[in-house]
Amino acid sequence: MTTSTLDITGDVCPMTFVKVRLGLHKIPPSGKLNVRLKEEALKNVISSLKTEGHRVTNVSREEGIFLLEVTKGG
Amino acid sequence: MSEAAFKELKKGGMMRQSEAGLFSVRLHVVGGRLATPQLRAIQEAADRFGRGEIHLTTRQGVEIPHVPQDALAALKEFLATSGVGVGVCGPTVRTVTACQGCRVCPSGVIDSPELAEAVDRELYGNPVPHKFKVGISGCVNNCMKAEENDVGIKGWIEPRWETPACTFCGVCQAVCPTKAIATSEDGRALIIDPTLCIGCGDCITSCPTGSMREEIRGYRIFAGGKFGRRPSLGKRILGVLRTKEEAMAAILAVLDFFRIHGKPGERFGDTLQRTGFPALETFIKVGVGRP
Repeated sequence: MTTSTLDITGDVCPMTFVKVRLGLHKIPPSGKLNVRLKEEALKNVISSLKTEGHRVTNVSREEGIFLLEVTKGG
Repeated sequence: MSEAAFKELKKGGMMRQSEAGLFSVRLHVVGGRLATPQLRAIQEAADRFGRGEIHLTTRQGVEIPHVPQDALAALKEFLATSGVGVGVCGPTVRTVTACQGCRVCPSGVIDSPELAEAVDRELYGNPVPHKFKVGISGCVNNCMKAEENDVGIKGWIEPRWETPACTFCGVCQAVCPTKAIATSEDGRALIIDPTLCIGCGDCITSCPTGSMREEIRGYRIFAGGKFGRRPSLGKRILGVLRTKEEAMAAILAVLDFFRIHGKPGERFGDTLQRTGFPALETFIKVGVGRP
């Protein structure tokens, strides 16, 4: 399965959350979505993902930008 | 009426207005909460005994202004039938302010109204060397400005780092608003600086692996805050307290300390400037056995 990447480094809340939600809507349960985001969006994006039953399965960082691997919940 | 008689009225929450013969009547409100029958009674009282005006005070209080002196007793009796008491003034424990707490607010960590009611039941109107204000914030967003009170409480989450699942992804460090989390020199542990931690729990909310956990979800006490003419902010005392009963015991101990060391007419913050905060903490720990 191809893992798509969503770049929300240019967005601010609530669009960060909205775009991640739309991104996850396009993939099947247990599918993965990579999300590139800035540090200031981390807290809200991760907490909303957890609330909606998704999991952050990997985190990496490149030049101050975080890359989250999100696994879609059922 | 004599000055002594005016003072007696003021103690009971009836304050002389600048316009001769009129009083502004302070009501007893706890944590800014009033039931609708009480509100209806207050409205009717303001229409019948005042000039149809109600003043909302800066500390969640309610006052009915423009009440003639000869109507004060009747007003008090009228309100009492709907469960509305009159307030207090002078060197006493004043209105306890509180946010809506965890039963209403999604950010709430503690049940602020519940603690406010307990403090009010135990202490409202009790004599102390000078006015004494208690404010309760349900979380570190601090809507009730805990540090501006003689005793302030904040709902507080103390985090604990657990080794096994942590991948050292850096999210907790990135989201921490005070940079209280650091990686150890060997890179194998995360260290939380308790003096920098503000108890927000953001590290726990954001941790992808669940390695940041709640150590304590409880009550943080701040002492010695005041505003008025010479403002100063209260300081943290004691560790995070786990239960409402512990918080209550700490507040009672703070008041005992104030009664012993405070001078008449001296705000508690000024008392602490004389005695030092460590003296208060020692008093509470030794006397009450608080952590």
